[in-house]
Amino acid sequence: MKRRRFIQATAGAGLALGTNFGTALQNLSAFSQTANLSHVEARYYKKLPDREIECLLCPRKCRLGDKERGYCGVRQNDEGTYYTLVYGKACTMNVDPIEKKPFFHVLPQSQALSIATAGCNVNCKFCQNWEISQVRPEQVNHFDLPPQAVAEAALEYRCRTIAYTYSEPVIYYEYMFDTSVEARRKGLRNVVVTGGHINPEPLEALIKVVDAIKVDLKAFNQDFYKDYVRGELQPVLDAIRIIGRNKRWLEIVYLVIPTLNDDPDQARKMARWILKEVGPDTPLHFSQFHPMYLIKNLPPTPVSTLEKLRLIALQEGLHYVYLGNVPGHEGENTYCPGCKKVIIQRFGYEIKKIELKGGACKFCQTRIPGIWA
Amino acid sequence: MMAAVKVVRVRGRGVLRAEGAIDPVIIQRMHERGIQLLTGQPSAAAGLGALFRPSDRVGIKINTIAGRRLSTPPEVALPFSKLLAQAGLLEKNIVIWDRTNIELKEAGYKLQAGSGLRIFGTDAVGAGYTAEPLVHLNIVSLLSTIQTDFVTASVSLAILKDHGLAGITAGMKNYFGAIHNPNKYHDTNCNPYVAELFDMPEIKTKHRLTILDALVVQYHRGPSYHARWADRFESLIFSLDPVAADFIGWQIIEKLRKAQGLPTLSEDKREPLYIQTASRMGLGRAAVNDIQLIEEDV
Repeated sequence: MKRRRFIQATAGAGLALGTNFGTALQNLSAFSQTANLSHVEARYYKKLPDREIECLLCPRKCRLGDKERGYCGVRQNDEGTYYTLVYGKACTMNVDPIEKKPFFHVLPQSQALSIATAGCNVNCKFCQNWEISQVRPEQVNHFDLPPQAVAEAALEYRCRTIAYTYSEPVIYYEYMFDTSVEARRKGLRNVVVTGGHINPEPLEALIKVVDAIKVDLKAFNQDFYKDYVRGELQPVLDAIRIIGRNKRWLEIVYLVIPTLNDDPDQARKMARWILKEVGPDTPLHFSQFHPMYLIKNLPPTPVSTLEKLRLIALQEGLHYVYLGNVPGHEGENTYCPGCKKVIIQRFGYEIKKIELKGGACKFCQTRIPGIWA
Repeated sequence: MMAAVKVVRVRGRGVLRAEGAIDPVIIQRMHERGIQLLTGQPSAAAGLGALFRPSDRVGIKINTIAGRRLSTPPEVALPFSKLLAQAGLLEKNIVIWDRTNIELKEAGYKLQAGSGLRIFGTDAVGAGYTAEPLVHLNIVSLLSTIQTDFVTASVSLAILKDHGLAGITAGMKNYFGAIHNPNKYHDTNCNPYVAELFDMPEIKTKHRLTILDALVVQYHRGPSYHARWADRFESLIFSLDPVAADFIGWQIIEKLRKAQGLPTLSEDKREPLYIQTASRMGLGRAAVNDIQLIEEDV
């Protein structure tokens, strides 16, 4: 299906203009305009004495004095009230196949209107979108796109879902939440692509208005989270448990980085944990790493490594274990756990064949979990 | 044994008028006397002439995050820029700068980009940040191209104040305003990040002088203004040693806190350990015995 890309703010635009000041500033006649940021009160924070606040949205629990911003860079204490600066301020919007998120058990072959704002509450050294995730909102081009406009755009472009993705949607929580409500009113579904650094209370509220959540589990040990993510593992595991307990559709992606998080024993422990906590029907994607941002000294993940980890997870009892970023590999397909036949055949983001009827395997009628219609 | 490094504190009695305005004559004298005492030269022009080459392009990095009430004011920065011009630097090669034009304007500056003195933020058209992040120790940041490309020498003309996360903010932390992502370095009281950022070649090799604006010192609940904990300290602090300047600034804040019965920053779990880290990294001195504190009233 043809992918339509109708709006994309240039990530990083405005970050690096002319550097030859000797000339450039001679001609400087216009100054930058006041950044067009939102000033919408945040929903999860606590007011403290002397105009201080404590953010309660994510596990960092930033405690901030007046005029300070949280770690995410998109929330600011202003005179003792905490504001989101990115409500309705998308810096990118695209129509993507939902397989790109990836969601393999949610409306295959459908399109997802995908949006993001600047900012993130972690700082992964292997970030694919650092130009928008690791900057402040005033440092990227963005446009006014209130929740209703997002939902209308999704309808206009025949998308069945809105995906909150690219950077970290937790940091634009209020925008995501209100857009989700608006989208549901219009019969659309909402899918979230997150690192899972979110506190239980806002997560449980969010779960009520979205349909599926994909969590990037970046490793199964705290040291990796500390050294390469600048985050914590435990809150992510807690978030996965909460999503599972609330029976919201969940998929997990694990980006396999050579030598850093490709240990088979860790993968086995992770698979056992997933099996125990959220069950065998939770899809797990092992994705291939490609060098970028701050990790450019490592090669792409060998396919053999991905295959080994996939096999481990299958042996441990997970039903749906996929390979990501390896177009054409058999690990991209969905196999029926009953008759073992291919029921969804993929090539990259393309769907070649679907052998499902009413959410069940066409061959043996085994129910295949997911959102199919 | 190494000679002690000099830190000069010049107090301008009456520099703050009753209504809070700054007396231009007294502030001028404070700058001149501070530079003289620091450099041992007979005049400020001679002193600055010893620190900067006539061909230098000098960035005066100020701190304007807290609005008009607690930012480096034009009444302090502009007289200093004039002294640089008197020392033989071309006005067009002097830039007073911070992160954004709006913050500069809110602090009382008139943006300028013509043929004379320049005043603008990193977000000005024609400026910006480096295209790729610069990596140094734990720092991964885009740097203002004002710092990387325009200036050959820089002055940190910072506000001295309490800081809820870092303990204090002074000369070194002022360079947080030169990067695109200061919010990423607030963990563990900004330690070691303040020191490691200052250690970046683009900053360390260009930094020549620290001046701390201690006319009004917010000694508690910074970095924003709270009248209840703001002291009319009426001082400027000068040093060629960025760590020693911050160390003395820290001691001043501790004294003001003690006088008001407030806990020490250590007791408040906000000790600015980055100052000691900077000292250990060889960026300067952070011990009373290593610092010659010269105090004078004008």
